[in-house]
Amino acid sequence: MTLEIQNLHVRVEEREILHGVDLVVKRGETHALMGPNGSGKSTLANSLMGNPSYEITEGKILLNGEDLTEADPDERARAGLFMAFQYPATIPGVSVANFLRMAMNAKREEPIKVKEFGALLKENMDLLRIDRAFTSRYLNEGFSGGEKKRAEILQLAMLQPDFAVLDETDSGLDIDALRIVADGVNAMTSDERGFLIITHYTRILGYVRPDFVHIMLNGRIVREGGAELADELEEKGYEWVREEVGAGAS
Amino acid sequence: MPPKFVEDRRKAALEVFESEPLPTWRRSGFWTTTVRKLQLDELEPRRYEPLAELPEIVRDHLGDEEHAALVVQRGASIVYSDVSDPGVTVMSLEQAVEEHPELVEWYFAKRLPYDEGKFPAATAAFWTGGVFIHVPKNVQVEKPIQVVWLIDEPGTAQYAHTLAVVEELAECKIREYCLAPRIEGQALHAGAFELYALPGSHVNLAHYQDWGTGEVYDISTKRVEIRRDAQVKWVPVHLGGHMTKQTLDIITAEQGSDMRHTGMYFTEREEHLDLFTSDKHEEGHTTGDTVWKGALTGDSRASYEGLIHIVPGAQETDTYLQTHQMLLSPKAKGDAIPSLIVETDNVKASHGGTVGELDEEQIFYMMSRGLSRTEAVRVLVEGYFEEVVQRLEDPGLEALIRRRIAEKLRGAEAQVAEFVAGRAET
Repeated sequence: MTLEIQNLHVRVEEREILHGVDLVVKRGETHALMGPNGSGKSTLANSLMGNPSYEITEGKILLNGEDLTEADPDERARAGLFMAFQYPATIPGVSVANFLRMAMNAKREEPIKVKEFGALLKENMDLLRIDRAFTSRYLNEGFSGGEKKRAEILQLAMLQPDFAVLDETDSGLDIDALRIVADGVNAMTSDERGFLIITHYTRILGYVRPDFVHIMLNGRIVREGGAELADELEEKGYEWVREEVGAGAS
Repeated sequence: MPPKFVEDRRKAALEVFESEPLPTWRRSGFWTTTVRKLQLDELEPRRYEPLAELPEIVRDHLGDEEHAALVVQRGASIVYSDVSDPGVTVMSLEQAVEEHPELVEWYFAKRLPYDEGKFPAATAAFWTGGVFIHVPKNVQVEKPIQVVWLIDEPGTAQYAHTLAVVEELAECKIREYCLAPRIEGQALHAGAFELYALPGSHVNLAHYQDWGTGEVYDISTKRVEIRRDAQVKWVPVHLGGHMTKQTLDIITAEQGSDMRHTGMYFTEREEHLDLFTSDKHEEGHTTGDTVWKGALTGDSRASYEGLIHIVPGAQETDTYLQTHQMLLSPKAKGDAIPSLIVETDNVKASHGGTVGELDEEQIFYMMSRGLSRTEAVRVLVEGYFEEVVQRLEDPGLEALIRRRIAEKLRGAEAQVAEFVAGRAET
């Protein structure tokens, strides 16, 4: 059971951002994808989820062997993929609870029973230390940055996908909020699930220990390694990667 | 024999009606509403015998909710009347001018001049039946007072007049429904509505219009006057009408008066909706809050203009108007114009308007959670209206509006999804 990205080339508004990305995430593994701003991390996340503003010009996305390269976002979601958005959209007039129920029912044959849903919601809200009143608010409307990120992780916890892409979920969070989010992710990691944690900073990796680290630069993955690669990056910074890659190229 | 004040007004109005040509309304240079296809001479005020039972369309809209009073006018005749709350007077206006002439004369047409154009003049000259609502001082009425205007035959001209007087410190809910089943052919509802909310009173007022898919023209004027320390919450809902031209005015006439105006419309097919609302502050220390939201499908046209008018001397007025419109079809055309006339200083008055389409980022977000494109669009449009539906504070009406909007969206589903998907590809 794997999420497999093969030679992915992606264009946004006529400009190629990703120039052939290969990445394999197996279930049970946690991968970190790191890189400076503008390196193409969010483009990869959005392309994985099927954002129509991103055009895949070459390469493939396979989920458990199924080719999802051309699939609509909802098909990808139903196939077991999830993305926690860096900037989630506001959905006026739709409460968090209602939205969660719709999303859960989209993947099910029979609608979830009210009682079962309520119990599950309570359990996950306790896990993420989310106040009860939160669920009746309109999704992301007037939410603080931290609330939005927690709402994303709450959706992740409720939907239990096979593979989750976290697009800079850590950015903009204070340390307390970061811990809560990290605890949530840790509670979700299992042999059944793969994670791709996209981040600019190494900070979250102190709480969620990755099995593999990939460093992206200018639309390519340029370094790969274990958790120690993140430590090295923390110490030396992205400049070090740029110099290394530059030296290798010349 | 009706009293002189009624007859005099009819005569004067008839002269205006006969001398005025059929009007054409123009707005902002390019928006035009005409009635040139209306064959006015072919229409007539049809009279009907009383009904023992409510027609199905009325039952369907009113549900099982209990009422303080219910009056149904079909065509030109009141056909059903049931007043279960003895604390209020609800009867036909024709009867009221006979039985309570002094009370009626004091308020009748106080804010409705007969010479505001051909159709208001026609209504003033030809109204029949009509509804009179009177809630005495200090009386609180819990259950709604309901009025239904029913047109169910082509060729009908319905000249409607409602006069509502809510006395000092009284409280009530008034709902008017304009309903028609699918009729084949033309009909006209030319309506006049006036509400006087006396000092300290509280009124929840709703107008629910769904003239169905027939060729029903609705040309109406509705005015609400709010006196000292009184509050009116007014909810007009337009869910159907071949051609609708309405003027809805709220006047906060004395200090401490407050109005909340929450409107909605959903247009389909070839419907044409032209709304003008005004929030007029005649004295200072008055407050207002207006929100209108609409959505357009098919080849429909909808124009909304909302005016805030603060007259000289009305200082310390605090009011706000916002209008939003959502286009759900490439062929629909709309505009939403907020405007402002402020003739004094030291007021707070702001307004805003948007005309938009569904946001592709929102759709992508919802689809990423497993919802299909069609579902995402439906949920977004329902959510768009939900924000105003929640302001109604009237569970019965809220449920009806949610149900009807969902039905209309289901009807337009394929077309809307195609529009949104087509847009995503470009």
